[in-house]
Amino acid sequence: MSGAGRADAPVKLRGAAVYGTDLSAEGMYWGALVPSPIAHGRIRSIDLAPARALPGVVAIGADEVAGLLPKGAAAETPIFPKEEVVYRGQPVAAVAAPTRALAREAARKVRVDLEPLEIWGSIDTLLPEWPGADPPRIGALNAHVHARHGDLEGAFRSADFVLAETYRTSGVHQVPIEPHACLARVDGELWTVETSTQTPFGCREDLASILGIPEPQLVVRGSWVGGAFGSKGSALLEPYALLLAKASGRPVKLQLSYPEEFRLGRSTLPSVIRIESAVRDRRVVGRRVRLVLDTGASLPGRDFTLGYSAGFLLGPYSIPAVEVEGYALRTHKPPFGPHRAPFVPQCTFAVESHTDHLAHRLGIDPVEFRRASVWTEGATTGLGQTVGPFGLDAALARAAEIVREWRATGPPGHGIGVAGGFWSTGTGAGGEARLRLTPTELEIEQGEREIGSGSVIRGIAVGVEQRLGLDAGAVRVAYLDTATAPFDSGVFGSRTVGALGQAAEKAADALRTELGRRCGVSGAAAEQIRLRPSPEGLVVDLGDRRRAVRELLTPEELARGGLRVEGRHYGRSGTIDERRVLEGSFHPFNDFVGAAHVAEVAVDPEIGSVEVVRYAAIHDAGRVVDPTTARAGIEGGVAMGIGTALLEETQWGADGRLENPSLLDYRLPTLAEVPPIQVEFIEGYPGAGPRGAKGLGEPPIVPVPAAIANAIFDALGVPVGELPMTSERVARALKRL
Amino acid sequence: MSSFDLVAPASEEEAVAWLARAPTGETAVLAGGTDLLNDLEEQRIAPRHLLSLRRLPWNRWSWTGPALTIGSTTPLVDLEYDPKIRSEFPGLIGAIEAVGSVALRARATLGGNLGRSGSASDLIPMLLALDASAEIVGPSGRRSVPVDALVVASRRPALDPGELIRSVLLPEPRASAYLWQRIRPAQDVSHVGVAAAFSPGDGRWRIALGGVPPRAIRIHPGASELPGRPSKAALEAAARRAAERLPLATDLRATGEYRRLVAHALVIRAVEAAGAMREGAP
Repeated sequence: MSGAGRADAPVKLRGAAVYGTDLSAEGMYWGALVPSPIAHGRIRSIDLAPARALPGVVAIGADEVAGLLPKGAAAETPIFPKEEVVYRGQPVAAVAAPTRALAREAARKVRVDLEPLEIWGSIDTLLPEWPGADPPRIGALNAHVHARHGDLEGAFRSADFVLAETYRTSGVHQVPIEPHACLARVDGELWTVETSTQTPFGCREDLASILGIPEPQLVVRGSWVGGAFGSKGSALLEPYALLLAKASGRPVKLQLSYPEEFRLGRSTLPSVIRIESAVRDRRVVGRRVRLVLDTGASLPGRDFTLGYSAGFLLGPYSIPAVEVEGYALRTHKPPFGPHRAPFVPQCTFAVESHTDHLAHRLGIDPVEFRRASVWTEGATTGLGQTVGPFGLDAALARAAEIVREWRATGPPGHGIGVAGGFWSTGTGAGGEARLRLTPTELEIEQGEREIGSGSVIRGIAVGVEQRLGLDAGAVRVAYLDTATAPFDSGVFGSRTVGALGQAAEKAADALRTELGRRCGVSGAAAEQIRLRPSPEGLVVDLGDRRRAVRELLTPEELARGGLRVEGRHYGRSGTIDERRVLEGSFHPFNDFVGAAHVAEVAVDPEIGSVEVVRYAAIHDAGRVVDPTTARAGIEGGVAMGIGTALLEETQWGADGRLENPSLLDYRLPTLAEVPPIQVEFIEGYPGAGPRGAKGLGEPPIVPVPAAIANAIFDALGVPVGELPMTSERVARALKRL
Repeated sequence: MSSFDLVAPASEEEAVAWLARAPTGETAVLAGGTDLLNDLEEQRIAPRHLLSLRRLPWNRWSWTGPALTIGSTTPLVDLEYDPKIRSEFPGLIGAIEAVGSVALRARATLGGNLGRSGSASDLIPMLLALDASAEIVGPSGRRSVPVDALVVASRRPALDPGELIRSVLLPEPRASAYLWQRIRPAQDVSHVGVAAAFSPGDGRWRIALGGVPPRAIRIHPGASELPGRPSKAALEAAARRAAERLPLATDLRATGEYRRLVAHALVIRAVEAAGAMREGAP
């Protein structure tokens, strides 16, 4: 079902959508953060007096925090450092002033006196000897995960050959066009923040833990979100804005400039990946992978990405003996943050490049080589989880057809590459939705904001419309704050349709049951109930008769805005075989979402320039609930993946400074770098979402760097092995330098 | 952005007179503003006065026989879409198309680009290869100066106090080509730019390279080294020598050695591309 269009489009086109950056209030002050000028240092003193000397300026530092918070508030971690700064730009104090210019001036006036300490800049400086054959010896670890299964030594001992390769990936930033922005106010006991967030309830939970204020005293109200891509999933500016609001007694707006967004936003950091595969009788019989991931100043034990992404390094293939080890390295950079399908495009780049190189060495067609061991339903993952319905093999079969077609029509010299990818949607995180039925309309009351993908405004409405027989676009989505909305986990992990959509459908079922009860029908008859529009308002269609909704609501319901019915969805996570885990946490997959991508590239063999000329993305998305939105999501994901593959890179200096905090020097792809994208769906492999839907927010980016890498390998015969594959890196791979 | 006074005179005399009186070091000159406004926004500069050239009648061009005089505030996009300029100065069009985006080129100007003298300018190498000169106007009247002598280093054109760039003169149409290399093809800064133009007067190629500080460099392969129809070996040797002239500069965009590799390849391709145009000419 399609054709409803996007209800947010007119609002956004008219300029009526209020984003975080648009927020304002009467008597509002502007906040500014005082950044640490160095990446690592001991605090000698922080003098706020010069800032406070400016008219109307309020300044707060570590010493003021306790006095601003309610008595008994137990903050988990200091909001401003008291002894040591651990990354450049770390906020050491904050100011608020009547104008933004004055706030910035005041922030510059704060005197920050630090004793410089040794800076741990990068993986390369901390581990100059790695990768070698041995595991890395690391002192500064945030996390370590290790899992193993099968007779690995035997597999390597009896191998016909072992292919050992190293891959490197660079940091990538989410680059939401709207930077982080929020507006905070404190009224008596109530601490309220309006903010551009993809997880209002997650933000409230973060604030409760950061500030030590009980959740009932915190209200998070989402604004329209100008892109998030993982960057707006945790609290960032909100705690500072709330403290400044308390200190100044005014609403306080805090908004990052774009250079600040680059420096302070939590982005993905560099990695080094080592993959070794033992091959016997043309099959991979053993694989050992090691991931060293720069996690910056992340707090130990807080890292989810390492154990989650490390599982993807084994690939979606059945391999009898495996070992995976991940090291989250602490450096003096801002904490690591999730970027669309956190770190899995990078893992897929490594493992799927490696897969092509194995096929090449064996002289086997790379797609056929994959299909010989790719998971299908019932297979077991390296971590011992049983694979659910999974359409990757079917997607690869279709990719093989596209390759044949393109080889026949493409100019000689072009390279064509295929990569498989998989993703597990976060449908294990639960949520609730509420339907509000009035005599004239049906609305979904819920706590998320539409972040641009359509997963909220279309994804959760479409199931309710279909359930109740309404036209596309007939159900409105309402955005409530955390004080009034039913709980939901957030818009992340491609879970929105699968989990919140399911909750909304359950609410639709409950509404049908309730309407049936009021009309005196139940069971199969109630399941046939449909809502129909009429000139007098909504009517309940019982098949043989109709009842106006107005007649079915009680006077109390009519007075309180309608009949409200809730639906909840708390899915079960899959399970892994914990006996295979030696250290740390690995995470089970919920859904098995597969995609095969095909890229065709033109490569300049002299200077290494790469142009993607054709692209196809074949996705197993379970049942596609809204094809137009699904296609748009895939096109956007591929465009973003082209950035990761060829262009985007945060460039960090040895002193922990981000050298390219601008949209000139951090290069997003433009339309000129994105070819037409052929999108196809594989259906018949249902997921955990409503009637078999699978999440689609993140999967489209997963295979892109790998597909392009394999196309370059096909054109040149040499691997590049490092992201992004800039022309200079390609020229180096060609030994032109 | 700090506050400033904006002055926008309507005549050349007024502009020159105003600039002559303006306090030194506190005035910035605004043409298209596509580069200057970034400096203002990022507070790298905080001038008290901004002299806008946008109302001056310098936003047009004229032909005098084969010579083309381009007013310094002509938006690049106007040149880009003129059929005669497209056919007579293909290399200039190539260089213009390399600048920013279409939207930016609707504001950006040739004079502004010269006045800013960015080391990564795509236009300056082409102007050098075309033997362009600039007409300067100031308190002591007008003078003409070769672009080669005007461009010194980034943000530092060789202008005397109170002088403005009035127009740019291209002496004659030339078979020419401009090629560049960047990390992102669209809307990026070239780490190497190569301009090649054939001068019918002396039968020699002019080659200039850009992309590395302090400024674009003009290379003069002698007639014996690079004649109008060079042999493959002669062109290869000239490209190698040209690339070696490029300072070995490494920055965030590229290493020095990669720049030389690219310069070498692009000199050959630019001469071949422009040479093919010559062959194709009636």
